[in-house]
Amino acid sequence: MATYIRPARKRKCSKTIQEPKRLVTPGDVITSDTDFMRGHGTYMEEDKLHASVAGVVETVNKLICVKPLKTRYNGEVGDVVIGRITEVGQKRWKVDTNSRLNSALMLSAVNLPGGELRRRSAEDELLMREYLAEGDLISAEVQSVFSDGALSIHTRSLKYGKLGQGVLVTVSPSLIKRRKTHFHNLTCGASIILGNNGYVWISPMAGAEEEEGGGFIQNLEPVLLSDREVMTRLKNCIVGLAEYRMMLYDTSILYTYEASLKYTLEELLKPELMEEVVEDTRRRLEQET
Amino acid sequence: MAKVQLSLGEKTFIIHGVQDGLRTDGRSCDAFRPMELECGVVSNTSGSSRLRLSNTEILVGVKAEMGKPRPTRPNEGYLEFFIDLSANASPEFEGRGGEELATEIANTLTLTYDLKNVLDYQALCVLPQQCCWVVYVDVVVLECGGNLFDAIGIAVKAALYNTRIPKVKVQVDSEGQEEIEVSDDPHDVVLLDTCNMPVLVTVSKIGQQHVVDATLEEEACCLACIVMAVNAKGALVGMEKKGSSSLTMDSIQDMITTGKKVGMNLNSNLSSVLQEIGRDASSSGFLS
Amino acid sequence: MAGIELLSDQGFRVDGRRPHELRKIQCRMGVFRQADGSAYIEQGNTRALATVYGPHEASGGRVRAQHDRVTINCQYSMATFSTGERKKRPMGDRKSQEMSQNLQRTFEAAIMTQLYPRSQIDIYVQVLQADGGNYCACVNAATLAIIDAGIPMRDYVCACSAGFVSDTPLVDISYLEESLGGPDMIVALLPKSEQIALFQLNSRLHADHLSKVLDMATKGCKDIHTVLDGAVRDHVSEVTDSMARS
Repeated sequence: MATYIRPARKRKCSKTIQEPKRLVTPGDVITSDTDFMRGHGTYMEEDKLHASVAGVVETVNKLICVKPLKTRYNGEVGDVVIGRITEVGQKRWKVDTNSRLNSALMLSAVNLPGGELRRRSAEDELLMREYLAEGDLISAEVQSVFSDGALSIHTRSLKYGKLGQGVLVTVSPSLIKRRKTHFHNLTCGASIILGNNGYVWISPMAGAEEEEGGGFIQNLEPVLLSDREVMTRLKNCIVGLAEYRMMLYDTSILYTYEASLKYTLEELLKPELMEEVVEDTRRRLEQET
Repeated sequence: MAKVQLSLGEKTFIIHGVQDGLRTDGRSCDAFRPMELECGVVSNTSGSSRLRLSNTEILVGVKAEMGKPRPTRPNEGYLEFFIDLSANASPEFEGRGGEELATEIANTLTLTYDLKNVLDYQALCVLPQQCCWVVYVDVVVLECGGNLFDAIGIAVKAALYNTRIPKVKVQVDSEGQEEIEVSDDPHDVVLLDTCNMPVLVTVSKIGQQHVVDATLEEEACCLACIVMAVNAKGALVGMEKKGSSSLTMDSIQDMITTGKKVGMNLNSNLSSVLQEIGRDASSSGFLS
Repeated sequence: MAGIELLSDQGFRVDGRRPHELRKIQCRMGVFRQADGSAYIEQGNTRALATVYGPHEASGGRVRAQHDRVTINCQYSMATFSTGERKKRPMGDRKSQEMSQNLQRTFEAAIMTQLYPRSQIDIYVQVLQADGGNYCACVNAATLAIIDAGIPMRDYVCACSAGFVSDTPLVDISYLEESLGGPDMIVALLPKSEQIALFQLNSRLHADHLSKVLDMATKGCKDIHTVLDGAVRDHVSEVTDSMARS
């Protein structure tokens, strides 16, 4: 079938869900007790702690914060992120990381081709666009957070660097589950990087020889059709999970992938089939916990 | 977002995928993404429709108003197209940011609907040289996920199908003055015949192959495309080449063949859906 | 205008409401995927859509960026088919420029601007169907969209209009009630603290009646707040539940 138009579907009438206990909306008073520390999503007025976003109150010891359902990415040191170069400047690149300000990648914070550690010369400065140009994607780690909230990122590890062939999917950062590792070689036959900033990178399984060049030598050979099918299916699964607001991590993605196998790739584009796949996954995850 | 930036790796992956006949969302080269359509969404218009094609969302409102016929065609009414690329769709459309593209789309629509057999324009004329119906077709682009032309083409046709124009009587009073009386009975209306109205099909050249219904990412890899207006019989009623690169005669031929096939499919698909929805549908729109 | 009585002897308005009754409000958050936040609202036959982008790096570089707070950028537009008589352009006229400015002021008062120095937040609202209280519907939609985008605000901003007919204040006036003359008051309120973020009054109103009408508008805002808060709570509950079950 080449085209598929149909009348708009009625959204499922959501079953009434019990409101979580400590749900607050902007302006709500969380506590008038002054013995608490003010965290994100709260503010003090007239000695009372108010919420400034809608979400569930989280208390860690004396720190109270409210986390909204979705926001731009709030970076933390050590996070794995995926970013796109937006500007090449002097001694640094500006990178879009889905944060509220562009992140900075300093020339001194990358491994240059050749691998060995060396001083960055004036020549390197002139060659910056050869290394990373506008539009290029990189994986990196958050190195520090500036006082205005902008992030400084680095790629000084062999697992980070310029990304080659693959597909980028963007989701809300709050859907990425924090894990020990965000790099996965999935058993279905593709690699994914789940950036903490909500950018998910799907690429063919990395061969051993590719990792050596620090990502600066790109392999532009066509990807095998079989690998491509796996990647495409993974992409549709991740988009589907995000659409139905499921957390993304290796197990949820893999289960969705397996549940999706009963449909062809083209069938998966139909929202009702994707919904079914996601619900199957949800049931399987719930059974296991 | 109206435009995306891609790295070389991403582009290569997309181009090779098109070569292999497997696109990044799993479609084959001649397949559309699923669409959802509804009619009668804006109650104070003569007709309206809303189309969602993946992330592309189009709202069309049609208003029929009395106006003066064009001097070149004194016996006919006419359609007037206006496209609003709303800032909702992308911050880059803010202010006058979307105007250029909007005019381009409006011109394409005007050209394709400007043929005699598309619509009975004479029926829209009330008094030759003095008074006729001007059917304003206003399109709002609410979200942009690629393939604007085709989505707008389908939504416009659906909105016109949904359009009801009041019947008009002309009476001559005692002094010989003609008086126009517009019926205010909501059932005493003229419906438009949409049978011969074309839809737009954009065929984009990517690498050595061509695809229909390109996503934003694919549009970023595409250097040249052809926008075709195809009617239900598969006849080409208009064509335009867009984009910065050039095309050979052979590839244009191939693209036209694909475009005709897909266009016919779209037309028959659309007309059966419209019949299912019916002429006087009204719906809850965004709440559903 | 003769013929139409805005308030019947029995105390009913043209559309059957009592003077203090709002029109039916229905809304939905998160209607679009690409924007950071979005919302759609229906207040009677008035329909509006709002999208929020950001906070993101200020466009126009350092020129527009403010070093101590976020720049709020608003655009108000009306679909050309939204009004009874077709509009020529969706925006750019004086009225919509004024509305854009009003929106900006309203939300600068509510958003915690100092949290995001050098960034920018774009708020775009569009009226899809106009039947009175357009600005109010837009403010309410924008509030929902900002909450959807997770941008910190001191409080909701709820806007409501009020009119004054035959010694009775009317809340949430429709297009008909607006167009038949008489005073037309718009109030945008931070309901919890009862601070007024925007106040506008068109045409004449005797000073003695001002507080009565203002009270009516304020009460309307609070009623709207109850409805919006309910919608937000439902939305948050649903999404939290979905995320917890995965």
